[in-house]
Amino acid sequence: MNLGPWDIIILQPIINVLIALSHFLFNNFGLTIIVLTLIIRFILLPLTMRQLRATKAMSSLQPKLQELQKKYARDKQKLAQEQMQLYKESGVNPIGCAIPMIIQFPIWIALYQAIILALAVNPEALLNLSRYFYGWAAPLANLPLSNSFLGLNLATGNIFLAVLVGVTMWVQQKMVTSASQDPRTAQQSQLMLWMMPIMFTFFSISFPSGLALYWVISNIFSIVVQYFVTGWGELNLNFLKGRPKDTAPIKDKKGKKYSELEQTPKKAPSGSPTASKSPQEGLSDGKSRDISQDRGGGDSKSSNPIKRWFGRS
Amino acid sequence: MKLIKRRAFSRIAVILCVAIGSVLLLTGCVRGMSPIGWSGVLIADGSLYTGSKEGRLVSVDRGTNPPSVKPAEPLRAAPSGSTCSTTGGSGGTCGGSAPGVAIYGTPAMANVAVLGDLIYIAGYNGKVFAYEAKTLQQRWVYPVEGNLAPIVSTIAVSGEMLYFGCTDSNLYALDTATGNLEWKFATGGEIWSSPVVDNNSVFISSFDKKIYAVDAATGAKKWEFSTTATNVATPLALDGVLYVGSLDRNLYAIDETNGQQIWKFTGGNWFWARPVALNGLIFAPNLDSKVYAINARTGAVQTQFDCGGQVASWPVVVNNEVVVATQNGKLLGLSANSTTPRSIAAIANNVVAPLSADAGVVYINGPDNVIYGFDVITGAQTSIALQPK
Repeated sequence: MNLGPWDIIILQPIINVLIALSHFLFNNFGLTIIVLTLIIRFILLPLTMRQLRATKAMSSLQPKLQELQKKYARDKQKLAQEQMQLYKESGVNPIGCAIPMIIQFPIWIALYQAIILALAVNPEALLNLSRYFYGWAAPLANLPLSNSFLGLNLATGNIFLAVLVGVTMWVQQKMVTSASQDPRTAQQSQLMLWMMPIMFTFFSISFPSGLALYWVISNIFSIVVQYFVTGWGELNLNFLKGRPKDTAPIKDKKGKKYSELEQTPKKAPSGSPTASKSPQEGLSDGKSRDISQDRGGGDSKSSNPIKRWFGRS
Repeated sequence: MKLIKRRAFSRIAVILCVAIGSVLLLTGCVRGMSPIGWSGVLIADGSLYTGSKEGRLVSVDRGTNPPSVKPAEPLRAAPSGSTCSTTGGSGGTCGGSAPGVAIYGTPAMANVAVLGDLIYIAGYNGKVFAYEAKTLQQRWVYPVEGNLAPIVSTIAVSGEMLYFGCTDSNLYALDTATGNLEWKFATGGEIWSSPVVDNNSVFISSFDKKIYAVDAATGAKKWEFSTTATNVATPLALDGVLYVGSLDRNLYAIDETNGQQIWKFTGGNWFWARPVALNGLIFAPNLDSKVYAINARTGAVQTQFDCGGQVASWPVVVNNEVVVATQNGKLLGLSANSTTPRSIAAIANNVVAPLSADAGVVYINGPDNVIYGFDVITGAQTSIALQPK
């Protein structure tokens, strides 16, 4: 079996770095996974930031887009033109959210595969691993790597790490999820919010927990980055603070155009949802429900204050 | 139109995420998550015996035309919670897994008083089984209750004892007739290699970076030899010297009597397969795609054969030639008088299972559950499907 282009270009370098790292990190595979995950996530940080900013920009445009949709509900062509114009003026590329994510996928998958190979959970896996060594890496390979990390066996499934994967993924998804008036989009967001964490929790139980550790670290990294870019986003932290969630507008230190977009609604006339109150202030009725919880129906005449707010805009 | 595009993108995002999940699941499994097995072929009394990919002992009677294939009852999987771990389950639910218990060891045979010929095989489910050679009826199983850790080792038979290593770190000795435990010897790491019995000693290499010599009758340690990496390869015992490869890239020649190193040779990658001897040379396959022909006495390399693919399967000597199979499907003949491999045949599959030979024919248990036979002179191929279609 010869290595294919995928193996040579992406998988092989990652595996050799993994081996070298483990050599210098006391043959501790848990520590190696954490460090390698962080290194790769830092390398991909510019792409991640770009994706987050684009997502944020799209979110910021939502009120304007809703406004346009209402205004040109019967003229689809005009609506498309206006939307295009809005994107152009705001400097937002609607596919800007997806492209960086798509570029990162191969790296994530390769990292995942590298961890599986390095775990060498059975004879075939260990034998397979030998095909990926560079000349300099073979002497460093102290394999199989030690599977023990903080009392966990990284070669077998672990329920604790699996649950942690699910929770961190849910938190991260929740922060990313943007409020949408479009019922279909809202439904898809809801689906994503729950489907992915459940799916990955299941994977984590079934697979060696070394992978779960990778996912947990990767998710925590995403949460931290996401926090610095958009704050807690849709995540409701009332239960921690004991008061209605702080819904101050999200801040972006670098994206000037996006901040302009955020400022625009503030200049809106009184009564406008963006005048002085932040969109979610209407939630301070003590119930403090999450936006996403009310998205499924998609009824613009809903009693939900968020929907009312969007409806007025 | 733009709205439609946005909706499309949302849908794409959902589809992408599902796709990623599926890709992660599938690639993870396909790329080595599931134990499949690579049992070799035992040739005895005109019949072939091997462990099939379905997880059962299969005998092939070469005396009939076409050869008759007789399977034993399938090995039963150990109860296991994890589908993709080293716990010795059936191979789990992952793609690419074997449908039954993975079998890595080549069957072994012993003639036992009253019972006649018995065939022994060990499974990844942590059980050792003894079958009557003629009927494939099970005679005994060890352990009777429960399971050991997964067994990768091939069973070695000597006298009235059989020996095997286990991933629970122990070397076991059982009575060939009853399957009763005679003794067990604990090492410091998993054992994947197969024991070798010579001069009343059992030699075994372990993940704990050591090679051990143990008294064959009592299990008492005679000596241990340290390497600098994990040991997976099975040793070759010849004329009082043990030749054993290691994942530290070295092939060691060790004095059987005292465990002292005689020489060592460093290759480009791991020494995985058991070496063979021919005409005073040790032919040692390395995962750097080369087979090194090394002077057995001095450790000097006489020839490096570039095989164009990793050699993980145990070579075999046929007609004064060493026959090796590469993982990219080449069957090659290596001679002490030549510096280049002779191509015997091209195999459609990658070969990892140990080779066996009889009457000028090399037998390979392929990954597709078929035993292939290759005439080493003509390259003519015969094949016997182990699973009726």
